[in-house]
Amino acid sequence: MQRDEIKAALKHLLVEGLRLDELTPEDIDDRAPIFVEGLGLDSVDALELVVLVEERFNIQIPDEEVGKRVFSSIDALTEYVAGELDHRSP
Amino acid sequence: MRRVVVTGIGSVNAFGAGVPCFVEGLRSARCAIGEMTLFPADGYRTSRAAMAPEVDVTGFVPPAARRKLSRTDRMGLVAAREAWSAARLDDARPDPSRVGVAIGGTTGGMFETEEWYRRRVGGEVSRLPASRLLAMPVHATADAVATLLGYRGYRLTIATACSSSLGSIALAADAIEEGRADLMVAGGAEGHCRMTFAGFNALQAVDPEVCRPFDRRRAGLSLGEGAAILILESEAHARARDAEILARIGGYGMSADAWHMTAPDPQGAGAALAMRRALDAAGLAPDDVEYVNAHGTGTPQNDPIETRAIRNVFGLHASRLAVSSTKSQVGHCLGAAGAIETAATILGMLGGFLPPTVNLEEPDPECDLDYVARAARSRRIGVAITNSYGFGGNNASLVLRAADA
Repeated sequence: MQRDEIKAALKHLLVEGLRLDELTPEDIDDRAPIFVEGLGLDSVDALELVVLVEERFNIQIPDEEVGKRVFSSIDALTEYVAGELDHRSP
Repeated sequence: MRRVVVTGIGSVNAFGAGVPCFVEGLRSARCAIGEMTLFPADGYRTSRAAMAPEVDVTGFVPPAARRKLSRTDRMGLVAAREAWSAARLDDARPDPSRVGVAIGGTTGGMFETEEWYRRRVGGEVSRLPASRLLAMPVHATADAVATLLGYRGYRLTIATACSSSLGSIALAADAIEEGRADLMVAGGAEGHCRMTFAGFNALQAVDPEVCRPFDRRRAGLSLGEGAAILILESEAHARARDAEILARIGGYGMSADAWHMTAPDPQGAGAALAMRRALDAAGLAPDDVEYVNAHGTGTPQNDPIETRAIRNVFGLHASRLAVSSTKSQVGHCLGAAGAIETAATILGMLGGFLPPTVNLEEPDPECDLDYVARAARSRRIGVAITNSYGFGGNNASLVLRAADA
């Protein structure tokens, strides 16, 4: 899976999965923080997004430390997902 | 001591969203009890229920927060917004730390929790969406109203079964009287859920057809849902900001039957005690009361017992009282019932009419009061009392007075 495909899938997941009805995937800034400022999401949304990402890509976000880093922006999240998928590829 | 007044009302019930729908429904003596449409109701004693419309919070709740609300929360929020605007508080910008919230209910976001469980057990979802369970507790509605509308003062959730929201209004009035808040956003919200629907069916507490309070053929209640929110403040506070006073809170009384988990005390002693205490608190004599908005569920037990309690409290004056059951029109809205019926009483006072008891065609000889059967009646009233009795023997009565009474 290419990075831009992953990025598009993540944005779609955010909008659809967290039902951010008034947003389109194009509205989401790649570098802006996902939580608090930016999209106005909170710690409960974070819990859901972890589940959504893990299920969608069949990967694990092992702990809060990793979580904090990878959910800092769409770019960071894309890198993490891409890295995990690369590890798995033969 | 501060005198407490009502300056705003918001309403959602089976007549629709908004006070005008409620007034029209009460006046036209329609019965809004239809069929349960939220979930399949086959195989139960009845599929009858009064359904509120889906209400939209899009305009004032951000998308991420919307997903976490239950239907109960949405109804409470819409009613609170309406009440706030009606009290002309939108531009008043009161100190948020002096605005309190007191909301009653019985099951909060139970329906959404049941939906999650159904989908999880059915294999539709494999992991837990946390946000769907956060709306489950009964305090979630008061939290949502306070958080999303920005009220940072005194906060209460009252859960005394079907007297919950009358208790909320009563304790909100105390908060104003005691100076704990300048404004209270008070009432109740209740959405249907399977647990309650199945429970009342299993108890055979529901009428297979629409409920018929005080009728000889009555066979139980009809479940309803909705929300009603009042804005309470001190008379001085209302006058200082030139707000229109819709009604005054006379006083309230509470009592417990200490009798049975679901059945009322057959002598109606607890019900009578709550009414007497409310009159005492209001400094009124029984003869001062003109109208009783009854608990009036339509169960075989409640109606004659409540009638007896009214006769005990009011003596000979009972025959001159008008008594009616708003539950005959919008169903029994459980945790929201007390607030909805308080709103009905005030709207009747304001509109110069007595809300009716519909579906009452053959009066039960044991129910021998004037129940305003079948049609609303034109009459301007100054003093009314509304009753709410809950499972477990939770009794509450509230005296309401017209603004000029």
